[in-house]
Amino acid sequence: MLLALRRLFGLADAAAAEEAADRDWRARKWVIEPSRQGFRARIEEVWRYRRIMWFLARQRVRDRYDGLTLGPFWLLARPLMPILIGTLIFGGLLGVDSGGPVPYFLFFLTGTSCWRIFERSLLWVTRGLENVRALVKKVYFPRIIAPVAAVSPALTEFVVLLTLLLLVSIFYWFKDGVMYLQFGPRMLAAVAAVILTVFFSISIGLFTSVLQVRHRDVRYSMRYVNQFWMYATPVIYPMSQIPPKYHFLMYLNPMAPLVETYKWGMLGIGEFPTRPFISAIVVMIVVFVAGLVFFNRYEAASVDKL
Amino acid sequence: MDSLVVENLGKCYILRRGAEKKQTSTFRDRLRIGGADGDKPGAQEFWALREVSFRVQPGTILGIIGANGAGKTTLLKILARVITPTTGRVVGVGRVVSLLELGAGFDPDLPAYDNILMNAAMLGVPKHEALKRIDDILAFAEAEQFGTTPLKHYSSGMYLRMAFSVAINMNPDILLADEILAVGDQAFQERCLQRVEQEGRRGLTVLFVSHDMDAIMRVCNRVMWINAGQVMRMGEPEEVVDEYQNAVWAQADASRDERGRRANRFAEVISVRLASAAGRDIGGAPTSEDVYVRVRLNALKRHLKIKCALDLMTRAQLLFRSTDPDAHPLGEPGVYEILAKIPAHLLAEANYSVTVSCILTWKNEPQEYPLVVYNALSFIAYATDEPTVTVPGRIRKTGLIAPRLDWTVRQEEASAARA
Repeated sequence: MLLALRRLFGLADAAAAEEAADRDWRARKWVIEPSRQGFRARIEEVWRYRRIMWFLARQRVRDRYDGLTLGPFWLLARPLMPILIGTLIFGGLLGVDSGGPVPYFLFFLTGTSCWRIFERSLLWVTRGLENVRALVKKVYFPRIIAPVAAVSPALTEFVVLLTLLLLVSIFYWFKDGVMYLQFGPRMLAAVAAVILTVFFSISIGLFTSVLQVRHRDVRYSMRYVNQFWMYATPVIYPMSQIPPKYHFLMYLNPMAPLVETYKWGMLGIGEFPTRPFISAIVVMIVVFVAGLVFFNRYEAASVDKL
Repeated sequence: MDSLVVENLGKCYILRRGAEKKQTSTFRDRLRIGGADGDKPGAQEFWALREVSFRVQPGTILGIIGANGAGKTTLLKILARVITPTTGRVVGVGRVVSLLELGAGFDPDLPAYDNILMNAAMLGVPKHEALKRIDDILAFAEAEQFGTTPLKHYSSGMYLRMAFSVAINMNPDILLADEILAVGDQAFQERCLQRVEQEGRRGLTVLFVSHDMDAIMRVCNRVMWINAGQVMRMGEPEEVVDEYQNAVWAQADASRDERGRRANRFAEVISVRLASAAGRDIGGAPTSEDVYVRVRLNALKRHLKIKCALDLMTRAQLLFRSTDPDAHPLGEPGVYEILAKIPAHLLAEANYSVTVSCILTWKNEPQEYPLVVYNALSFIAYATDEPTVTVPGRIRKTGLIAPRLDWTVRQEEASAARA
């Protein structure tokens, strides 16, 4: 009873607090100047406009699958096709090993799901500003919300891949009698890896989304860069196939420890790359901060050119 | 306190000429973003707005007028933060809601309900506040039954109503409207204007861009005229609108002067002036006195006959053309004076312009030789002692003309008998 009452009051308090904040906000003077200042003010602004993110995210996903009669089918088919082909070539023809007791197909699927969320979200984030051109030219909101919200189709695809991963591992459970997915605290590491992957793609996207507005070449070249990058990352092969003396070179690529961690968390193969993981986090934070500065500085100039 | 202070605002675009760009730009140049474009050879500055400064008090409905490309929309876009200014600054208080384009923030695939929430999010309005207002918004848009219908199925009228309703119900302190109040059916327009007026009393400031001078005059209590990126004038709606329109007309007339003929081989118009009853040249016309349009004409030949007509125009509209019913013979060559009386109590307090046409005939030939002087004269009519009744509401203070009618007031016989 008391708890219920308190909760009720708590809610009322929250609403009242928001209302008060709104009044404050409205009584405040605002200034428009050629260059925007105040990092904190901008963060507050993003927070205030945060709900747009959800709408934009939903829009992006819908735009992608709307009007396709076989919408859900494509959702599954698009990522599945390259995975099947990849498994056949690398696992079948080239005989790449999973570096553990895990079937190569499952290994490939796991690695790809982590890589794809990076690749896809980077592509979507890059087009994040361009895709909301009509809106950005008519309505104001903190522009940074647009590229961040643009990760949504990649997240959707990731969820699909996860489902697929689960189904495939259930299949192997019946076939081999082994559940290859490691349900347990290790999975938290995989979750962290995914979150960091998305974070990293957004950080890079802060640069590319602004550049993309003026130079369409960005997106095209990115496809090639991404392909190269994927082979430089232990996605379709295990780290154990690389001679240990070259590991440090591999780990210069911040995506390498993330994918390794993900595979370690999901399938329990390989090992947790502690030091590379930490250095990757540092690199990502640097890229992110630089991205924020870059975005902040050039976003307005490039929106003029949309 | 002012709700909006604009200081020295400017927006510069860099125009590049294609050919020169190719010659001079290096790959490094091309990869540059923003900022340092100015020093590139072949780049040309274009100031869409320049040194614009003004202040707006809360409750003002400021009309912004000007030719296409004058910078009106640029100004609104800067205030809406859609583009950033190059120079100057704007200080404002309160929530800004912009209607730069109808339903710009709308997603046609989503139902009205979601769109309202999305717009609220875009305006930074807290969600619970938006939820509180949903019924009001749907009611004002007359779309109560269509809250769950995707907007793409709305008629264009409903779409428009929804856009305006969302904007005004978000409780803005400053509303930026580009042409929006000028579209839609009359009844809805009227409701919008009433609502704007009502909110104006609460302290809402409206900046309203339009090419529709009637709408401007009806809605605004202040008007700013922008030309070539600069503020030409800001002040009372009637004055500014009149001045703007006369300028537009003068420009149009200047280009038409070729077609107009001041002289032919029979005669030449020397001057067209406004004169008082006493025969003095005057610059303005008191509405309570007779005034004369005086045309001085130099006849070059004998045996001419002349017949004149006068067009009176205001705000780009021809009020009337009055033609002399008789043709007058001009016996000898020389300077003649032609007077047309504009009677007292006809003109309103406004700017007028006069076009004079003279039709000449020679001897008894049927051939006519016209002389036309476009915009030969423009003048202001002003009231001296005229008692005017101020009608409450947004009705223009005076009309285009203000003729004195015959008024009678008498008691009806039937009611007299009853008493």
